[in-house]
Amino acid sequence: MSLQAGLSFEQAPPFALPLRFFLTAPLFLLAAAGLIVWAPEALASRWAPQALALTHALTLGFLAMVMLGALLQMLPVVAGESLPAARRVAWISHVSLVLGTLALMTGFLMAEPAAFGIAILLLGGGFAVFLAAASISLARAVAGVTVNGIRLAVLSLAVTLLLGLALALLRAGWWFPPAIETAIAAHAAFGLLGWVLLLVIGVAWQVVPMFQITPPYPPRLARWLAAALFALLLLHAAALLFFPAAVPIVDAALAGAILAFAVATLRLQSRRRRKLADVTLDYWRLGMASLLACVVVWLAAQFWPAWADSDAYPLLLGVLFLGGFAVSVVCGMLYKIVPFLAWFHLQAQLQAKAGSIPTMKEMIAERRMRGQFRLHLAACVLLAGAVLWPQLAIAAGSVLALSALLLWVNLLSAVRRFSGYGGRFS
Amino acid sequence: MSIPTQEILVDARGLEPPEPMEKVLQTLDLLRPGQSIRLLLHREPFPLYPLLAERGYRHATRMEADGSYVILIRPAGENR
Repeated sequence: MSLQAGLSFEQAPPFALPLRFFLTAPLFLLAAAGLIVWAPEALASRWAPQALALTHALTLGFLAMVMLGALLQMLPVVAGESLPAARRVAWISHVSLVLGTLALMTGFLMAEPAAFGIAILLLGGGFAVFLAAASISLARAVAGVTVNGIRLAVLSLAVTLLLGLALALLRAGWWFPPAIETAIAAHAAFGLLGWVLLLVIGVAWQVVPMFQITPPYPPRLARWLAAALFALLLLHAAALLFFPAAVPIVDAALAGAILAFAVATLRLQSRRRRKLADVTLDYWRLGMASLLACVVVWLAAQFWPAWADSDAYPLLLGVLFLGGFAVSVVCGMLYKIVPFLAWFHLQAQLQAKAGSIPTMKEMIAERRMRGQFRLHLAACVLLAGAVLWPQLAIAAGSVLALSALLLWVNLLSAVRRFSGYGGRFS
Repeated sequence: MSIPTQEILVDARGLEPPEPMEKVLQTLDLLRPGQSIRLLLHREPFPLYPLLAERGYRHATRMEADGSYVILIRPAGENR
């Protein structure tokens, strides 16, 4: 497959380029945790300003941060040639994502229109640069199930961005866009089920069989799932606008697609060839279990209107999807990507005799990753609990903060090992 | 005096990337003249090929009936 065939040192960007994204992301996870401790009302209603700031710290500051970094690493491999102006694209998108996310969080927390104005310029500009570069690479890429998933994910990112910009213009007081409720629903749907889930799905086709040594996904599922999910997202937005009665049917189909992916992944993982303990595998399993829990929570809301109308329902969905699924899978991937890149650049730079440099597995101590996983798991359970019992919020935020900090320390340990052996970052 | 051809078997089936590559690079360092490596793997190791070429080795890949691969690796200069 193209992803494997093209892994060459010449095409790969310097380590510093994606690494800055990976080392920034845990700090936003820490900021999100700090927000929960400082303002526990962030878990009281999804419309609370603190909840909106928290959501965007997670989605932009943590998830998008890692996903952009990973794509900047991966796109040259997919396209078979270097990204146009890779260093400049990385620098601009990283700086504007960091500052833009901070501005957006400030805007929500302080209800400050000027902060929304700054966020619009930074996030709009930064993402535009990234999207332009990614589009060029993806246009050149050879089609395959992974490339198709990434294409639809990036397209969803563009839709999410445009809707988000329109909503921010409203908050900045510059424009009063029509159909605000639909725009909000579509912004969340394209962001979470489009950009985040489609990217995870596209990457899963490749990563789960390769790194977890499982049989391949069923070919028909791999061929159709991403396209079906994207089509359902379009239908979802159209139904909201023109035919609200059809929304539950589209939602049911979306839930079915999510279920199919989670069940297929868990089944493959249970058929691994060698049953060795692996933190990334545990993170993926937690992620898939959280997706299943999302479907159950959604199903309950279809039968109990009181639950569907409660403040807790959307918050629990958010905690399960963002914390339980997305943050988990991304953490698991960071524990593969960063040690792999550290090992890859070391062996290529030093042309070292094997044995004179650490192996990939030695880059981060297994024990520490395992400890961080347990903290993250505890944080997820406490966060879900805090949605129903608010007095748990401070404990949940504190454990999440510890988990974020340990994630950062663990990633830094690989970087320290890399530079200790004489690795160069740029 | 002829040097007996010896094959070093590296069974990397079911190992997680990049362990198979690490094992092969480790074995290359131990290789003595006349020796070659027989690598068994559950998938084709595309990323390994440019590294082998860079280090002056050639390879021959064969797919087995069970879908796994056998890759023979020897110094580019040696015959057979």
